[in-house]
Amino acid sequence: MAVIEVRDVKKSFKVYFDKGQTIKEKLLFSNRRRYEERVILDGISFDIEKGEAVGLVGHNGCGKSTLLKLLTKIIYPDSGNIKITGRISSLLELGAGFHPDMTGRENIYTNASIFGLTRKEIESRIDDIIEFSELEEFIDNPVRTYSSGMYTRLAFSVAINVDADILLVDEILAVGDAAFQAKCFEKMLDIKSKGTTIVIVSHSLSQVEQICGRTVWIDKGKIRMDGSPNEVHPKYLEYMGLKRRNTKTAPKSQEVKEENQEKEFFAEITKAEIIGEDGTASCKYRTGEKVTLKIYYKADPSKLDGVLIGLAFYRSDNLNCYGTNTVRERIDYINLKEQGEITCEIDKLNFVKGSYRLDIAIRSKDMFAYDYKAKAVEFTVYSTIDEVGVAKLDHKWTFD
Amino acid sequence: MQLIRELYMYRTMTVSLVKKDLKGRYKGSVLGFLWTFINPLLQLGVYTLVFQVILKNPMPNYYMHLFVALVPWIFFSSALTTGSKAVLGQANMVKKIYFPREVLPLSYTLSSFVNMALSFIVIFAVYFISPMELKSAPLLMLPVIMIIQLFLVAGVTLITSSLTVYLRDLEHIMSVLNMALMYVSPVVYPVSYIPEKYMSLYLINPMSPVIIAYRDILYCGTFPEFKIVFLAFAESMIIFFAGLLIFGKLKKHFAEEL
Repeated sequence: MAVIEVRDVKKSFKVYFDKGQTIKEKLLFSNRRRYEERVILDGISFDIEKGEAVGLVGHNGCGKSTLLKLLTKIIYPDSGNIKITGRISSLLELGAGFHPDMTGRENIYTNASIFGLTRKEIESRIDDIIEFSELEEFIDNPVRTYSSGMYTRLAFSVAINVDADILLVDEILAVGDAAFQAKCFEKMLDIKSKGTTIVIVSHSLSQVEQICGRTVWIDKGKIRMDGSPNEVHPKYLEYMGLKRRNTKTAPKSQEVKEENQEKEFFAEITKAEIIGEDGTASCKYRTGEKVTLKIYYKADPSKLDGVLIGLAFYRSDNLNCYGTNTVRERIDYINLKEQGEITCEIDKLNFVKGSYRLDIAIRSKDMFAYDYKAKAVEFTVYSTIDEVGVAKLDHKWTFD
Repeated sequence: MQLIRELYMYRTMTVSLVKKDLKGRYKGSVLGFLWTFINPLLQLGVYTLVFQVILKNPMPNYYMHLFVALVPWIFFSSALTTGSKAVLGQANMVKKIYFPREVLPLSYTLSSFVNMALSFIVIFAVYFISPMELKSAPLLMLPVIMIIQLFLVAGVTLITSSLTVYLRDLEHIMSVLNMALMYVSPVVYPVSYIPEKYMSLYLINPMSPVIIAYRDILYCGTFPEFKIVFLAFAESMIIFFAGLLIFGKLKKHFAEEL
């Protein structure tokens, strides 16, 4: 059953060059009120099924946030229609209606009531909200005494505990410290598993990948691609790479065909291999074998300002088994040389038997992928024992 | 119908906005909520001084004559002045989150209403300690008139708050209109000053029948005429539904205009 139906929705904004808001200006200077009709959404249609988690991606100004606002009924489409079944909670604005002089508890009531909760419903949730915010000690202090982190934590806790049928999220997983972020993330997965429909707008493709099973890519007010993140994201990254280069190098007046242009060179992974205990890159390893990952690269150091290296291991059925990057591991941004070699020692390759692949990325500080090598290494793992699952946990048995 | 159901769903929001407004008004001041009572008392003191002691108005207890009209007038004028900013002042909320927009003007009206009701307590207190007497039977009509006025003020607030979003000038026009309307309502003078032939015109001002009724109940101690109550009721309802209609039309573009 589709809980969100969007049919041929169009929306444009009038952008005034010099807008008068007083009577004098409205009457006298009507000729001065020149405006430009800017089309933001140009005929968008899609359905979202109950329980689906969908990511909306697109570059700045492509209309994805406008679409989210249309879904919440903050603004209305010029034509077309939107049908929504069920209660919506949006994480667009955190802490709506917070009053600095009132206590955290009082503000929970105000804020939750703005989401349409009744007093009874709020009372049944308030303990969960307070617990989630980790503000038990401060909950009866006025929120003006809160730090900004505490403030957003409280606001987020209210919004996420509304128990809506549909949750709309706009770039929010950047709340609080790392521990709280992880908690929010878990909560999102938990909400999803309860069958809540989720729509996320995000620039972080990895967030979308982890939560959503579907990505809608919006470009210039239209849907450019709609499919699984695996299909859409590589195309999107490629397009963004081209776009970025165009804005950097080509003057605006020149219209150049994108396809014919060569990629500008920043950095490239030339080769990657995993060397096993026998000293060769055999692509066959034993569970628990000590291996060394070697990444060879070429780069143009003059254009780079510190990069990070990301790794993602997938099983043959596309299960993301393990992912990490140097920033997550609190390693400083790396300065690449013109040509070089990066080594990563893996003490124990603890995958159970099966076929795996490794994706490697070199990314800029804002997560732009200079190079993303999918299937940089493909390998199989064998084991002398017949374990099942994904990873082997080191263990010892003792019998008394 | 849809709107009523939705407003009912968001009733807690309305109540909590009213509470926030009432509590927030005097937050930080030493006397706090007491100001709700002190304010009208001080006003009453000033009027007594000016009209009774200095101007020696011949009308018996003129200060009370004025005060029972002034309290409802202040409630009404709140719709024209600060009430016109009910939506504008919450721009952040309107732009970022969905809720039935009517909640904003309605909760604003309700909090002014509560303020008026509290001021009435001051009136009763003054009656209690002064030698003046108040007949109690007509007081039964007081809640009826208050409800009628509530609808009137809600209607006006709906209109002013939605129009101000599109036309910021309105704020200033309203303060002039506010003053003008006060003098074409029987606030500072008794209604008997108005010549008979202009009376029907005079009663078109929706606040005229309302104030006449209040004064009958709280000053003269008589039941208001049926004609006056009916007129107040009819005018309030027309304005209230016109307000809902206008607001409903204008609310769709609030988020873009703010």
